Amino acid sequence: MNRRQFIQKSVILSALGSLYASTIGKIPGFAASPASSGPGLYDLVAVRGGEPLELYRRAMEEMGGMERYVKQGQTVILKPNASWDTPPERAANTNPDLMGAIVEDCFRAGAGRVLAFDNTCDNWERSYENSGVAGAVRRAGGQMLHAHLERYYKEVSIPGAKRLKTAQVYEHLLDKDNVFINIPVLKHHGSTTITIAMKNLMGVVWDRRFWHRNDLHQCIADFCLFRKPDLNIVDAYLVMTQNGPRGTSTADLTRMRSILVSSDILAVDAAGASMLNHEPADIAHLRIGQEMNIGNLNLSQLNIRRVSL
Amino acid sequence: MGLYHLKKIRTGLSLLFFAALLFVFIGIETGPFRALGDVLLRLQFFPSIIRFVAIFFSVWTLGFLLILALTFLFGRIYCSSVCPLGTLQDIVTRIARLFRRGKKRRFSFSSNRKMILRYSILAATIILWIFGNMFLVNLLDPFSNFGKISVSLFQPLYIWIHNSFTFLLEGFDIYMLRPLSMHALPWDVILVSVAVFLVVAVMAAWRGRLFCNTICPVGSILALAADRSLFRITFRDEACTFCKRCEFVCKAECLDSMNKQVDQGRCINCFNCFTACPKGGLTYALASKKTQEEHTASTSDAGKRTFLLTLASGVLSMPLLKMRSYGQGASKPGMIPVGEQQPVTPPGSISRSHFTNHCIACYLCVSACPTKVIVPAFFDYGLQGFMQPKLDFHRSFCNYDCTRCTEVCPTGAITKQSEEEKKQIRIGEVRFLVESCVVTVDRTDCGACSEHCPTKAVQMVPWEDGLFIPEIYPELCVGCGACEYACPTEPYKAIYVSGLPVHGKAPLIDDGEGPREDDTDDFPF
Repeated sequence: MNRRQFIQKSVILSALGSLYASTIGKIPGFAASPASSGPGLYDLVAVRGGEPLELYRRAMEEMGGMERYVKQGQTVILKPNASWDTPPERAANTNPDLMGAIVEDCFRAGAGRVLAFDNTCDNWERSYENSGVAGAVRRAGGQMLHAHLERYYKEVSIPGAKRLKTAQVYEHLLDKDNVFINIPVLKHHGSTTITIAMKNLMGVVWDRRFWHRNDLHQCIADFCLFRKPDLNIVDAYLVMTQNGPRGTSTADLTRMRSILVSSDILAVDAAGASMLNHEPADIAHLRIGQEMNIGNLNLSQLNIRRVSL
Repeated sequence: MGLYHLKKIRTGLSLLFFAALLFVFIGIETGPFRALGDVLLRLQFFPSIIRFVAIFFSVWTLGFLLILALTFLFGRIYCSSVCPLGTLQDIVTRIARLFRRGKKRRFSFSSNRKMILRYSILAATIILWIFGNMFLVNLLDPFSNFGKISVSLFQPLYIWIHNSFTFLLEGFDIYMLRPLSMHALPWDVILVSVAVFLVVAVMAAWRGRLFCNTICPVGSILALAADRSLFRITFRDEACTFCKRCEFVCKAECLDSMNKQVDQGRCINCFNCFTACPKGGLTYALASKKTQEEHTASTSDAGKRTFLLTLASGVLSMPLLKMRSYGQGASKPGMIPVGEQQPVTPPGSISRSHFTNHCIACYLCVSACPTKVIVPAFFDYGLQGFMQPKLDFHRSFCNYDCTRCTEVCPTGAITKQSEEEKKQIRIGEVRFLVESCVVTVDRTDCGACSEHCPTKAVQMVPWEDGLFIPEIYPELCVGCGACEYACPTEPYKAIYVSGLPVHGKAPLIDDGEGPREDDTDDFPF
C-alpha cells in the first residue's frame, strides 16, 4: 500500500466511522450493550480522573443537562453536606466549588430561585461559613437558608414507614413543585459504614436523635418514602476513607477525583459503597431500601455510563 | 459656664459606655462599639484586679490602677460614668421619676453614712476573696451583677425582638438577618438575676445611689480614695443661699447645704448639683490643704475601724468558712455513679481552682459562646464558686475549633488561647456506660457519639451481629462533650464527660502525609 492508497482508505474508513457514530450508533438498543444509552438516558453516570468542575460538567452532559431536571422559573432546593466546622480541604463537607457550579448551572437551566440548607451537626454559622459552602452558594447567586431553629420544620407523616412514621421536615421540602437535589460527599461512617446520598438526608429533619434511638438504618430507608431527591450528585473528589463522618485530618482522605450522578438514590449509594470497598447489600440501609423498593442497588442491572477523563 | 456643662458630658459619656457594655453582653457586634466595649472591659475595677492576680502582669491588667489614680485625682467618676450598673441605676431613677409627678424634691441629704454596714460588707468580701471564696464578689460586684442582669434578662429580650423582625422579613422572602437561637438560662439563675435587679432597681428608685454607697464593695473602696481626691466639689460660702436645690438632685445624698459640707466619700461626681444651683454656689476645684485635712479628720471614724476589725476577725475565722464551703460534686447523677461527674470548666481555665478563684460570674462567656454550652451553675463548685458557669453537655457541646470564651473573659479566669493551643486542652474525659448504650439495649446501630467526636476518642468497633459499638480512648479525649450531647439515650446518657480538676494536654492531630492518591484505574463497579 502506497501513501496515496493509505490516505484514501483512512479517509473512507473514518467517514464511515463518523457516519455510523452519528446515525446507527446513536440508536438505543442497536449499538452499546445496555438497552438504553446516550446522554440523558443513563441510570447512573460515573466520571473520574478530573478536577471537580470538569467532573461535574461532563457528568451533567452525560445526564442530559440540568435542563432535564429544572424547568423555567422553578425553585431548586439543594441539600449539600455542610454539617461540620471543618475547612474544604478536610472534605467532611461537600466541595464548595462543586456547590457554586451547581447553583450556576441551575440558574442557567432557568431556575427561579436556588436555595440551599443543612441542619448542621456543629454550630450552624461556623459550619456554613468554614465549610465554604455558604460562601460558594451566595457568590453564585443562590440563597443559603437558615435551618437551625425548630420553627423551620413541619411535622409530616410517612406512610409505609416502619419506624420513622412521622418526622419534622424542613419546610421547603414540603412543596413538591420544587426540584430537590441532594449533594452529599462520599465518606466513611463509623456506625453506618458509609454516608452518601441516603444518609445525607438526615440533615433535612429536626430530630436526628430519634433516628439514632429507633434503628438508624431503618429510619434512613424510611425517610426516602417521604421524598426522594430528583437528582443525587455525589462529590467523590476527595474521599474520607477512615474516621468518618467528621474526620480528624487530611490523612483520612483519598483523592479519588470522581463524581457520581443519578436520580436513583439507591443506585448512587451502591456505586459509592463499592468505591469504599463494600458490597452494597452489606450496608443495612441499602439492603432495607432495596426491600422497600426505594431504588435499585444491583449495579449489574443498571445502565451505567462510566467516563475516565 | 463650664461647670454647668459637666453634667451633660457625664450623661453623654455614661450612656455611651453603658451602651457599649450592654452591646458586648447581649451580643451586638458593631465595629466602633465593640472596640470601645473591649477597652471598657479592661477598665472594670474588680475584674481588672482579679486579672492582675490571675495573669500577673500585662498592660491590660492595670485598669484598676488607672481607676484608683483617677479617683484620687477627680473623685468617683468611675461610679458615675464607667460602671454600667451605676448607669443602669440612673436610668431606673429617671424612669421612676416619671411616675412621681409633681414632686420637685427627689432626694435630700442623709446624715447616716452607714459606715459600719458598708465597710463590714467590704471587709467580708475581701476576706472571702483572699481565701479563694468568690461568694460575696459574685453576689455584690457591680460589673458581675450588670453582666448577670444583661445576659439573663436583656439578652433574651433583645433576641426576641431581633427574631420577630427577622421572621417578619423572612415572610417576604428576605433572608438578610440571621435568627438567633434562644437559649434560656436555668430558671434558678434567672431568678437570682431578677432578685438582684429588683433590689438594685428598688434602691435606685427610692434613694438614688444608695446601693453604691452601702452595698457595693467597689463603691466602698473608691470612697476611701475619693475622700482624699485632689479635685472635689465644695460649697462656695459667699454664693450659697441655702436653697437646698442641690440636695434635691443629689443621687448620693451627700450634700449638706445647711453645714455647707460635701461627703466626698459618697459623692459620685454626677455633677447634677451644678446644673441645679442657680447661684453658682458650688464649685469643682483643686482642694486646698486645709479643707483636705479637715475632711480627713472628720471621716476617720467608726467605719474604717470596723473595716479593719472585721478584716482581722474574718481572716482568723477563715478556716471555718472554708470547711463549710467545700461542696464540689456531681450535679445530677442520674444513671451516672454518684460523685463521678465533675463540673467541666471552660478551655483555658487551667484548673478548677484557678477558675473558681478568678471567675466573677459576669456571664460574658455565657453570652459569647456560639454553641451556648457554657451555662451558669448554682452551687456546682460549692459556696465559693457561687453562680459560676460550667459546660452543660445536655444543652450543647464545645466547638473544637472555637476559642471565643478565652477571648472575652475580663478576669483571666479563662486565659487566652490560640486555636492550636485550645485543641490540645483536655477539659474533661469521656466515660462510657455500655449497659445503657442503644447498641446493647436495642441491638441496632447508632454511633451518634463517635460521629460527633472531633478527635476519634470514641470509635465504633465491630460487635455482635455485624453491629458496631463505641470504644473509648480517653487519652485522645479533649472533653468537648459532643458525644454526651449527641447520645440519644435521654435522659440518662450512655456516654458522658467528667471534668478534669486540672486540665490536661491532648496530642495535636497532624495531617501526616495528607491525602493518599487513589491507585485504581477504573471504577470498581
